[in-house]
Order: sequence, then structure tokens, then C-alpha cells
Amino acid sequence: MPGLSAAELSFLEGGIAQDLRNDGRGREDFRSFSIQLDVISQASGSARVRLGATDILASIKAELGSPPAEFPHLGRLELAVEISPTAGPEFEGRGGEELSAELGKALERSFAGGANGTGAAVDLAALSVVEGKTCWVLYADVLVLNADGNILDASAIGIKAALSNTRIPKVEVLAGEGDEEGELELNDDPDECARVSTAAVPLIVTLTKVGRHYIADATGDEEAQMSSALSVAVNEKGQLCGVTKRGSAGIDPSVISDMLSVARRIGKRLLAKVDAEISLAESRLESET
Amino acid sequence: MEYVSPEGLRLDGRRPKEVRQLKCELAVLHRADGSAYLEMGNTKVLATVYGPHEVSQRSQSLHDRALVHCEYSMATFSTGERRRRPKGDRRSVELSLVIRQSMEAAILTHLLPRTQIDIYVQVLQADGGTRAACINAATLALADAGVPMRDLVASCAAGYLNGTPLLDLNYVEDSAGGPDLTVALLPKAEKVTLLQMDSKLPLDTFEAVLGLAMDGCKAIAAHMRQALLEHTRKQAVVRGPVRL
Amino acid sequence: MSARGAPSYSPYSGIEERVMQEDGAGPASRSVLGADSRRQDGRLPEECRPAFLQVGTVSRAAGSAYAEFASTKVLVAVYGPRESRKAAAYSDTSRLTCDVKLAAFATKSRGKYGQGTAERELSDLLHKALVSAVRLDTFPKASVDVFALVLESGGADLAVVVTAASLALADAGIEMLDMVAATSLSLVGGHLLVDPAASEERAQDGNVLVALMPARNEVTQMHLAGAWPDTHAAQAIELCLDGCHKLDGEMRACLREHAATANGS
Repeated sequence: MPGLSAAELSFLEGGIAQDLRNDGRGREDFRSFSIQLDVISQASGSARVRLGATDILASIKAELGSPPAEFPHLGRLELAVEISPTAGPEFEGRGGEELSAELGKALERSFAGGANGTGAAVDLAALSVVEGKTCWVLYADVLVLNADGNILDASAIGIKAALSNTRIPKVEVLAGEGDEEGELELNDDPDECARVSTAAVPLIVTLTKVGRHYIADATGDEEAQMSSALSVAVNEKGQLCGVTKRGSAGIDPSVISDMLSVARRIGKRLLAKVDAEISLAESRLESET
Repeated sequence: MEYVSPEGLRLDGRRPKEVRQLKCELAVLHRADGSAYLEMGNTKVLATVYGPHEVSQRSQSLHDRALVHCEYSMATFSTGERRRRPKGDRRSVELSLVIRQSMEAAILTHLLPRTQIDIYVQVLQADGGTRAACINAATLALADAGVPMRDLVASCAAGYLNGTPLLDLNYVEDSAGGPDLTVALLPKAEKVTLLQMDSKLPLDTFEAVLGLAMDGCKAIAAHMRQALLEHTRKQAVVRGPVRL
Repeated sequence: MSARGAPSYSPYSGIEERVMQEDGAGPASRSVLGADSRRQDGRLPEECRPAFLQVGTVSRAAGSAYAEFASTKVLVAVYGPRESRKAAAYSDTSRLTCDVKLAAFATKSRGKYGQGTAERELSDLLHKALVSAVRLDTFPKASVDVFALVLESGGADLAVVVTAASLALADAGIEMLDMVAATSLSLVGGHLLVDPAASEERAQDGNVLVALMPARNEVTQMHLAGAWPDTHAAQAIELCLDGCHKLDGEMRACLREHAATANGS
């Protein structure tokens, strides 16, 4: 990000204090976003999300793997974020690794639930194929093509949309003879494929603290000004699914509880908006084919 | 396996000397100085260009020409099996080098001394011919960034299966094990900037395949030029008439 | 609360035994609270484990601390401020590096050599919890290196590491805005268990960690995972903050005691 001058910074901060940001939004408003489904044919489900100028691709790939050792009856959900150097020269080589690890961790905290799989974004028990042997592993990969702030919230929208678009092939377990293990037969017929329920998939609302105020959906310029940020994952039931504090400055505990309730309020509106956009994208997809 | 049916059709319904459907979009990302999105059939590639700008590592600065820098990465979801490492493996390093060299042949680097041009190519979906698709996307992105070039670089692959030269192989044809020839061409000067082949081919057949690949390059170059022209026209309309 | 009441290590024999039994039983059972609404190690849900804190345990280091929360045992050494090895160019602030290692014998299954993803993540989280408390601008160009070794992983590892690291920094005389105390909490079957043991962590549906600068009342690091109903989350954060304040008293007492003995000798 090219640096901003002191005058630009104080203008930005002044606007936030007056609830009128540089692009005309209030402090709690999101930028307009668009969702496009089924963009990667090699994935089980995919979506492209454009949130302002932030542009990401989310893909879900279902592969057969082995279940976690302690919980043999569950499947796995693996989340990762990768920042393409197309988003800027600073992400070239290993440049994006630190940020992508931080974002990946924040996503994991919000989507993977507790250690035993309760509260996960998708029903992990439904991903089990043969208990203790085989399960579906859902790889949720986010690729950031253009970064203009708030990658995390856009990623969560992308994963939710991609999950709604995901089709998992049906597996039949053929009984093995005697001690031999049964064989697995995959059925790729699109009509036979299982869908993933996205009702419990949370969205993330990041509140970025600039000066004494906090704003939703910060742009790249605004993020350059941040002292700290709180990313809060909220689901349909209004539950908190994950909180990550980012940035180095400390926050007062009372401000945190304020931020949590504001995030929950914004999250509710965002969930409705995202659901509407997803069904719009679905109908667009159907009319194309 | 039969790659060309008795009727002369390939697995995806193309004729032997047909390229896949080509789709280009320019200026797709606003932060970059130039960017292009290119589809060759199911192969989808995004390229961005940053620069010319100040050389980031001063010791690498060249006093008489621009430093061209290229990085190739493949999305984890771009292939059938999920990839563990998106970049940094040997294939990516080699491809970065190949793309850089064929771009350097076209860019008028001597006009931009002590500067750096970054080219980033991201494969979103791989279905054969990624090498060619990346070079084509990179040229378009450079053109969009307004970097001075001798000509557009057009690239296309060709192979030889079932006794037939085939143009622009897809993944299934590519993994059949036959020869795979990738050519990059400066179409106006008819100069080859890149020529790579694996496997083996008799010399007289090689010439036929090379000729086919070069014809493919020219067809692609014509298409890209058209796309570039249309994009520029569109931009001119958006900006309104020029008053003198 | 026992943590508050214990001025030094109290060999709470009941705890160790019962934890060991549970560990042997394999995957944790869901019944975390007994009929007397006590936890398996005899604590109440909002009760912390008895803490034993000691500074100046590693003589070569500029500052060091040892922390023992029941079976979680952590040793932290701080070196610096010293010349920064990595710094390529002049910088007007210093660098804080954090490195957390799990001893090969820290967990039930023997650990592997080399830094794994778990250790890298712990190091990263430790850095985030400390960096806003350390006054990096007071020693430009230099670096302060924090090495933490988890001798035994017995639950709430990160919280103990953060607490011990902040003590070690204080022992090294590094300028800080405030001490950093950290407390974690597990949500198990609808119960909020402060300062969870390893067996409770294995059964958890969610967890929270709060790192606090108690005197300034500022949260330096916080994260929460799992699905939390509205009231539970707020209550959990409250409990953690309360735990941090209590731990802070403990930490200050430990430092004062150390200073007194150092002066006396």
C-alpha cells in the first residue's frame, strides 16, 4: 500500500469521527459486494466475492482422507488463505506468508469449532464415511486476487457461498470379504451428490479501531491507520463463533464488550444480505445453464 | 487410446488444427498498473503488472535497461488433486524464468533504465497449456500497463498424437505422453522467443508441428490484438471525445 | 480462591492423582462436573489452579521465570536487550522475538524435533500478547529474545507461557507499560471452566483466552473459538478478566519477594 501523507491520515480520521468516511459510508456500513458461484470447475464448490475493490476466490475441494485420531467419527474441515502476488508486489515470494497464516488461523477459529467438532461451521459427523478409516476432508482455500482491506470478512463470505455451491459425491462402501477391507465406490452423478448445509456457517465482522472509534469493513487505506481490530464470527443463531484480536495496541475490556454487541448487530444484517446475494447468484447460475 | 476419431475429431470435439476458445479481459484489477484475465478453454490465468517502478533492491538495479521480474504461482485448487504448495517448487521457478525471458524479448527494456517491472502470473485453473496461457496473459497485462514493447508475444502449444499434429493440447492430450511443443512468437517479426519440447519427434514431423504451433500463435495474436483494440476503444468512449 | 491463597507452591496431592487417573482413561469423558459440582481435580468451575511462580531461575539469562500451574510447567528465559542479529537496517524501535518450544516429553506422545506448526503458532500468539506491553521504543536497534520451554503440557499452556514470559521480562528489567497476565477458559458441555486442565481441554466445545495489562485495564490479546451463546461469551470474558486480575496479584507478590531476598543477601 502506498503510504498516506499526514494530512490524508488526519482527514481520514476526522471523517471517521464524524461518521462520514471517505467513500461516503457511515462507521457501521459495509461496502457493496457481489458474489459469483461455480467459477472453478475443478473444485467441488467455488465462489468469487468482490467486496469493494477486494477480490477473492474461495474454493471447496472434497477429498477422501483419514479422520482425526482422537475423533474417529468425524470428518475434517481444513482452512487456508493464500495471497496471490497479483494483489501487490509485497506478497511476492514468502512475503504474504505471515498475513496468510494469521488469516488462516482466524478462519480456523471461526469455522472449525471446538476440539471435538461441536460448533463447527459444517456438520463434521456427516462427513464420516467409514468410522476411524475414511472421511471426507473439505479443503476450503481462499485466494486473494486483490487486497483493499477486510480480506477476512470477504473470505468468510466466500467460504459460505462456496459451501452453498458444494456437491460431495456419494460414496458406497462395498463389503469386503472376510478380513479384507471394504472398497469404496464413488458416484459422481451430479443429481446424486450430497449438499452441505450452510445454516450454521458463520460470517466474520471485523471492527477496526481508528482513533477512538471503530469502523466496519475497513478499506486498505483505513487499515493502514488501525491501532487494533477485533474480528468477530457470528452465526444465524446469534452465537459468537470465534473472536480474534489483531493489531498491536491494547483495548479496554468495556470497549471489547461494546464491539462484540455491535459486531453481532452488524452480523445479523450481513447474514441476511449474504443469503440474499447467494440465492441471487444461484438463480443467475441456473439461468445461464 | 484414441485421441483423434476416424471422423477427425478430438476428445473435446475440436479439429486437429483448432485452438480452444480464447477469452481475454483487460484491466480486471484496479490496484495493479496493468492486468489481464485469459481463458484458453478451461485453462484460466490471471496476470498483473506493477511498474515500471523504482528497483526495490538497489543492488539489482541495471544502469542501461529495466529489470524484469516474474513470479508464477498456481492456486491450490487449480488442479484435479489439491496442491500443497502454491509456489516455490522447481516447476514454478522454471516457469517464472521462461515467462520472464519471453517477455524480456519483447519489452523495450533499454527505454526504461534503472527501473523494475514486476509480472505476476496466477493460474486459477489448469487444463493443459498453462505455459502458453501465462505468456499470453502476461503480454496483455504488459500492454494494459502501457509498457513499451516491440510486439505482442503470442504463445501456443502443439503436439503429435495418433500420427496427427494437434494444436493447443488440453490436459488429457498433454498427459498422453506424446511430444509437447510450446512456442512463443513475436508475430510481426516472425521471431521465435521461446521453443520448448519434451519427448521425441522425427525431424520432418517436427517441422510440421512447429509450423502448426506458429500458425496457432499467429491466430492467437490476432485475437489478442482485437481484444486490446476493443478495450482501448471502450476506454476512449468512457473518457469522452478528445477536444483539441 | 486457591490460586490467590497460595503464596507459594502447595503440593495439592489430590489434584495430581486424580488428573493422572483421568489421563489414563483415554479420550476424555463428557461428565466434567461431579455431583458436588466440582471438577475432576476437585476445583470449582471458576477456580484457578494453584500457581507457583518463581523468577531468576536461569542464571545466565538477563531475566527468567518458572511457572507451575498444577501439571503445566513452563520455563521462560529472556535475553537482551542485545544487538539484533536479524536487523538489516537501522530501526528506531527494537525487535521482540518469541520462541516457544514444547519439550519432547511435554505431551503424552513424544514430540518431534524441530519447530512444528503448534510451536510456531504458540510463538506467534505469545508475541502478540506481549508486544503491546513492552516499550520497544526505549532501546532502538536492539532485540529482546524470549525463549519459553513448556516442560509439561497440562492445559492452558499458552496462558501460563504468557504469564511467565511477562514475569521474565520484568526480571530482566525490560521497560514495560504493565505486566501481562493471561487466563484461558474452556466451554465444556455448557459449563465454563476457568484455567482448564488438559483433560478438560480435550473435551472442550470452545475456549477463550484473554491477556490483560491489569493496571492499565487493557486487553493485549484475545481470542475465542467454538460456538458461544450470547450470555456465555460475556460471562466467560468476565471470568477470564477476573482470573487475570487475581494472577496479577500473584505475579507482583512473586516479584516483590524476589526483590526482597535479593536485597537481603
